[in-house]
Amino acid sequence: MEFVSSFISLLVGYYALKGYKEFAIKGLFFLYLGFIILGIGTFLRVFSATYFVILLRALEPAPHLRSLINLAGLIYTLTQLIAYSFFTATYILQAKALGERSLELGMVSAVLFPIYGLFFNPSLELIAIVMLGFITVHSFNNWALKRSSGSALVFLGFGFMFLSHLLFLFMIMEPMLLFFGQVTQLAGFMCLLVMLARVSRVHA
Amino acid sequence: MPREHKEYRSKARIYVDILASIMKHGGKSRPTRILYGANLSHDRLMKHFGQLIELGLVEEEKQDDAVIYKLTDKGRKFLIEFIKMEKFAEAFGITI
Repeated sequence: MEFVSSFISLLVGYYALKGYKEFAIKGLFFLYLGFIILGIGTFLRVFSATYFVILLRALEPAPHLRSLINLAGLIYTLTQLIAYSFFTATYILQAKALGERSLELGMVSAVLFPIYGLFFNPSLELIAIVMLGFITVHSFNNWALKRSSGSALVFLGFGFMFLSHLLFLFMIMEPMLLFFGQVTQLAGFMCLLVMLARVSRVHA
Repeated sequence: MPREHKEYRSKARIYVDILASIMKHGGKSRPTRILYGANLSHDRLMKHFGQLIELGLVEEEKQDDAVIYKLTDKGRKFLIEFIKMEKFAEAFGITI
């Protein structure tokens, strides 16, 4: 499931890069960086998880292996946070361009809080939830303004990703939530894929 | 009285407005019609025409002593690609 998610993320990233390079649409640059980093991070997680499963079957569980798994998990979460920071920056820059001055302070603090939070808050998953919550609210605002199918799909995409992080947060209590979280995450990426397919179908 | 909002148009947006205006008139049009469609002054339109011809997006043609601007295949493709990208960007709340 995560492999498909990483592929979709890289595809969306590539499309954003195309828009940035061919038409100099500045707003797409952060979107490109975000999706490419998210795609690479997710792919690395799939790769490292498969590797660790094979390793654990072949070898006895050793303490250094556990710390290696923790390190891989930390790297993945950090790439996610960096990617979400770029999505947040996209919405902040757009709001600035549209002149939403009253919201500026709140938005800047919404970005700074998770970054500072890295030093004080040990739970990176919670930071991801805060960032994705912010992104989801903004994508909802965009849908409320535009009422287009594309903006609805982006809102659903980020909304599902937000929900998946909530499920991941509670998986210590119920391991099955990991599976549901993965399904929800995939649903989010599928929404983005449908959006991409729809915009690619435009004819003259 | 509401304050008038002056919208900034990017270079790509101006090009697209010119190309869309030509497309609207069946793929070829006189400058006057394009001028209204793209909301540009005559001088600015002529300046942009020079760049569009250089890029191969538009062709100049003489018809009955009048100059006509024709959309090339490259121009048509550019327009379609831009519309796709505009829809993609708008889905994320990015205005071009």
